[in-house]
Amino acid sequence: MSNNQTMNRRGGFLARLSMLETLVLAGISLIAIAGLMLVGKGFYMKAKAEISQVLLKRSFEAQLHGETNVKPWPWADFATEAEITAPRIGKTAVVLSGASGEALAFGPARLANTPPPGELGTSVIAAHRDTHFRWLKDVKPGDLLMVTRKDGANLTFRVRSSRIARWDESGINADAPGRNLALATCWPFDATEQGPLRYIVNAELVPDTAQATLSALDSASQLSVKSF
Amino acid sequence: MFVDTEIGATIPRRQYTRYVEYLLVAVLVAVTVVLFFVMGFFSQASAETGETKPQHFAGYVHPNDMGTGALLFPSKEPGSFVEAPRLATDVQIDVNGPILRTRVTQRFQNPSKGWVEGTYVFPLPENSAVDTLKMQIGERFIEGEIKAREEARKVYEEAKAAGKKTALLEQQRPNIFTNQVANIGPGETIVVQIEYQSSVHQSGGAFSLRFPMVVAPRYNPDPIVETVDLDPKSGFAVSDPVPDRGKITAPVLDPAENAKVNPVTLTVNLNAGFPIGTVATPFHETDVQTVDDAARRITLKNGSVPADKDFELSWNAAAGKAPRAGLFRETADGKTYLLGFVTPPTIDATPEMHPKREVIFVIDNSGSMAGKSIEQARESLALAISKLRPEDRFNVIRFDDTMSVHFPSLVPAAPDKREDAIAFVRGLTADGGTEMLPALEAALRTQGSIEPGALRQVVFLTDGAIGNEAQLFAEISKNRGDARVFTVGIGSAPNTHFMTKAAELGRGTFTLIGSEDQVAARMGELFDKLENPAMTDIAVTFEGTNTQDITPNPMPDLYRGEPVVLTAQLDGASAAGKLQITGKTGGQSWHVEMDVAKASEGKGIAKLWARRKIDDLEANAYALNDAAVLDKQIETVALAHHLVSRVTSLVAVDVTPSRPAGQPVAGTEVPLNLPEGWDFEKVFGKKAPQALPEDQRKAALQQSEEQAIVVADRMAAAPTARAASLIAEAGNQVNLPQTATLADRYILIGLMLLAIAVMAASTFGLWRWQMRGLILEARSRVQ
Repeated sequence: MSNNQTMNRRGGFLARLSMLETLVLAGISLIAIAGLMLVGKGFYMKAKAEISQVLLKRSFEAQLHGETNVKPWPWADFATEAEITAPRIGKTAVVLSGASGEALAFGPARLANTPPPGELGTSVIAAHRDTHFRWLKDVKPGDLLMVTRKDGANLTFRVRSSRIARWDESGINADAPGRNLALATCWPFDATEQGPLRYIVNAELVPDTAQATLSALDSASQLSVKSF
Repeated sequence: MFVDTEIGATIPRRQYTRYVEYLLVAVLVAVTVVLFFVMGFFSQASAETGETKPQHFAGYVHPNDMGTGALLFPSKEPGSFVEAPRLATDVQIDVNGPILRTRVTQRFQNPSKGWVEGTYVFPLPENSAVDTLKMQIGERFIEGEIKAREEARKVYEEAKAAGKKTALLEQQRPNIFTNQVANIGPGETIVVQIEYQSSVHQSGGAFSLRFPMVVAPRYNPDPIVETVDLDPKSGFAVSDPVPDRGKITAPVLDPAENAKVNPVTLTVNLNAGFPIGTVATPFHETDVQTVDDAARRITLKNGSVPADKDFELSWNAAAGKAPRAGLFRETADGKTYLLGFVTPPTIDATPEMHPKREVIFVIDNSGSMAGKSIEQARESLALAISKLRPEDRFNVIRFDDTMSVHFPSLVPAAPDKREDAIAFVRGLTADGGTEMLPALEAALRTQGSIEPGALRQVVFLTDGAIGNEAQLFAEISKNRGDARVFTVGIGSAPNTHFMTKAAELGRGTFTLIGSEDQVAARMGELFDKLENPAMTDIAVTFEGTNTQDITPNPMPDLYRGEPVVLTAQLDGASAAGKLQITGKTGGQSWHVEMDVAKASEGKGIAKLWARRKIDDLEANAYALNDAAVLDKQIETVALAHHLVSRVTSLVAVDVTPSRPAGQPVAGTEVPLNLPEGWDFEKVFGKKAPQALPEDQRKAALQQSEEQAIVVADRMAAAPTARAASLIAEAGNQVNLPQTATLADRYILIGLMLLAIAVMAASTFGLWRWQMRGLILEARSRVQ
């Protein structure tokens, strides 16, 4: 009885707790902190994806104006390749070259074993479904996609179809006839785990728009060597 | 009395509350554990479903996995292939001094009732040069012609579209030969004959050659399922990847039986150029015929081909007759081509075999290494550190856009230091940019002077994704000093050009690690070199001859009793003069002189020279800095010597002799009217009168039929040739990367945790509040 009273009088919330109660409270706060950290990490990844696009856009524009060796930030480990715009949806993103390492965390990337957009074959651009290619689900057949390459060529692609395939059974042939573009992201769109399925949007070059710029660039551009 | 009842009342209540406390804590702990378990489990499951390789089922193969010549057809599993039944294989190897010429003839069959486009794959030995391709498809004969890559592809596509039999041989990687074969009709037989030139391997006085013969395990008893899709809700694998798995269970074919079904004949005409001591074939039973002192004829014994070993033949010289040097010449197109080799004297002055080493490991942990690459780099480096000897000294440098040196200076490789460094390496994550220069400078300049008698080695692990190559090359050649720079290429597509050249300038070697399972083997080869002293500063000059072109240029260091092997092109058909080779072993200098006029005749030297010249041109590309000019230079050399290279391909066109009218169409079994100079007899021959009892013959025949049925069942054959080519193209597909981040998952789980915390906190508060109520009540009662 008197014991209880002294405890009450000692003041301070923590001091009034018994050992076990303190432990329980500590456990609860640990869970809360873990939760906050995870939420923070998730939002950090999203913020990184958004903010890097702003910086990438700036460096891509500098590149278009003829500056070479521009880096979006001093420790960046990749180069910008093109800019892709979906006018109907009003979304745009700067594409990096090579989907290796951590490049996909910062922007869409053209797979290194496929030709650049507008060249013969099928160019494949992949991006995360929960950041840069969140809008891919809204792209419909018949939509136009505008691509500005780093060499200044402005190309227009028309979306033909979309489909779902396993990542290792994409059915995309990099040497397919015609000048094609394939956009790929993970499927299903609202899932939260990483899965084997991919959503692929196929598009074809609209010939007239590209002729002028491409033929001007034809002499300069070199097809990359294909690897087996 | 009062006191007594009071105590009696509080104790049970206290005990009661304590129980509640325990219960609450237990529940909380359980919830947390379950949560962590679920999170861990999910990441495990996604790693399994997302990252695993394409599924390998029994009987399905990939072109890069082939250990011997094989014809592959597209299968019903996209991205996978099936091997065509191999009806016969004949191999003839002619050894003339240091030069090898190999001719492989293989006969395959399309067992299906449809059209297919196949891929012939052959793993070539290092530094070999393919120059001849002859094929028979059904009743047509086609022969390869060397053409510039683009032109060859055009010819191939045109012939293919016209429905003609055609084949295209492009170099995909220097040591694998892949050949597209279009328009193979139903049930047709395909004969492929290739010829290539390579050189005899010499090491420590022994001569050897190797022929790839490893047959992929074609028929396993049960298909092995490597990946499962886990249902995130139940956590169980819910769907079998192949619902009709039972159908693809194939009959098992024992390798020994396989040898009877797919006979291999192999003949080596060994003309060593010196009296032969012993001849050995470690993995195969052979008959050795003695032709004369310096010549042998080696043939495989019937049915003695275990399917899991390459054919290896080694020989050495009779006692006291070992050649220390040799010089061979060939005259072609008014030019003299020389092939020379010299085995430097063995250094046996130092009693301890392994000199002290000072190793500086430099590891790239920039963002481009993220994922598998950094894992491989970490593993390779940990392995390398663990192999150091206590008397060695070492240091570790890591770099991205920043860099850090692990130890302030070189430290002895005592166990605790090694553990320390390995822990440091294992903790590295890949992030940031690639600033290689400061790390290179640190490795070459700031590690103190070399102890007398020690070997300074810099081992560089990177994917080479950098832009300032020229600057780095300059740094290496300027500040290398006595150090050797070894580069280790990591990842699926490292910048091999940069690393090859860096190693060459650094007088070391380049090691490529393409996948996890290569780490141990490739690093093992590297350690062998690192631990064995080298002959250095080798230089080759000609005295008294006309202009010359020597390859390799510059001469690399030598390891483990390797000989100096050089090829050269001299102007004029009858060159004379002296060839001089100088070098250094340890502190001693070494000098050898040979008379060009006394060289003996050899065949195929011009082709070997051309192959090496192309390698040199590729390696020196950085100095040229103009891709178009380089391609042109390579094309000129390759076309002149009829070689397949990066810029030239062999395209095979129809050369079938016209059949006189009225003559019946030949059966597929025996080719009629072979073009002039062709020899396919060995793989058709008469049915080898094998010493087999009748019933065994029948059993073998039945097995080969079963095999054909299984292959036909798995093939994606098409009703027309055009459809077949579409199927073949579809097999050539791009793998898509993982494009889901875990951000949403993190946020979701984080929110769940927060909700739980809030719930627990409110429960706790409620409970405390109730407690307070009880206590107050008790107090008021007492008072």
